[in-house]
Amino acid sequence: MEASIPSVAMGDIAFLLLIFFVILARAQDDSHLRWEPASSENVVNVANPLASVVIDADGKYFLNGAQIEIGELAGRLTTILGNNPAGRRTVMFKVDKDSTADLFEPAIEAISQAGGELVHILEPEKKKK
Amino acid sequence: MRQSKLNLRRRSLLVEAPSSAATDIAFILIIFFLVCASVQPDTGRSQIIPRSEEEEQKSKQSQNIEVSISPGAVVVNGTVVDASEVRAKLKTLLAGRQNEADRVVVVQSARSTPYLRWIAVTEQIEEAGGTVTLKLEKQKEVVID
Repeated sequence: MEASIPSVAMGDIAFLLLIFFVILARAQDDSHLRWEPASSENVVNVANPLASVVIDADGKYFLNGAQIEIGELAGRLTTILGNNPAGRRTVMFKVDKDSTADLFEPAIEAISQAGGELVHILEPEKKKK
Repeated sequence: MRQSKLNLRRRSLLVEAPSSAATDIAFILIIFFLVCASVQPDTGRSQIIPRSEEEEQKSKQSQNIEVSISPGAVVVNGTVVDASEVRAKLKTLLAGRQNEADRVVVVQSARSTPYLRWIAVTEQIEEAGGTVTLKLEKQKEVVID
């Protein structure tokens, strides 16, 4: 007697595989980093970022989830951004709200030097009633 | 008599869902909501910062509006301004400046300025129609023999 794979399970398998690849596609995973965003009233959704730069609560720099020295940032970003045209050079900039200017300004400068289109990642501010 | 026959037929249509499928359904639902939560799009504000150049154009710089940010005060062209009034002050100063180059606002921050404050002030500069440019303090190395 031949045993066959139940065709009902195919839907489940396809769904799980889909989710698996969706998670893998998130190459710039920096969810393990600890930082608290600043807030702003005027925020929009960020589409298709090429890179993410994080300054965490301890003042360390990360590029796409990997720790980096500030001196290397501009060069590495230039490589990542390549020859992409304007509008496709978005760099997400995630800074802990208590970070100070001596930390975040050199990073902004590096993104600018690499020709990145800077987007500050902020959380929407709740309007006071 | 006739009514009882009908009841018997209805009972035969009731089929219990297999209990083994419940765990599969629960597992898939957990994964679905986890993925939904993790792929929530980031929100933010884009900012155009012109590339810095080594050569300083001093004649142009003198014409630009300068904003100094420190943890305790915001100074616009040498005048201390309340942090909430930067937008109004800059709108007045930028009025009549049509050329993009004339709308450059040079921002200089004290080293201890928190990001939260910096974002709040630069947001007002952009809302007033200014283009933010950073003026960074160059680190000087002093070698002591």
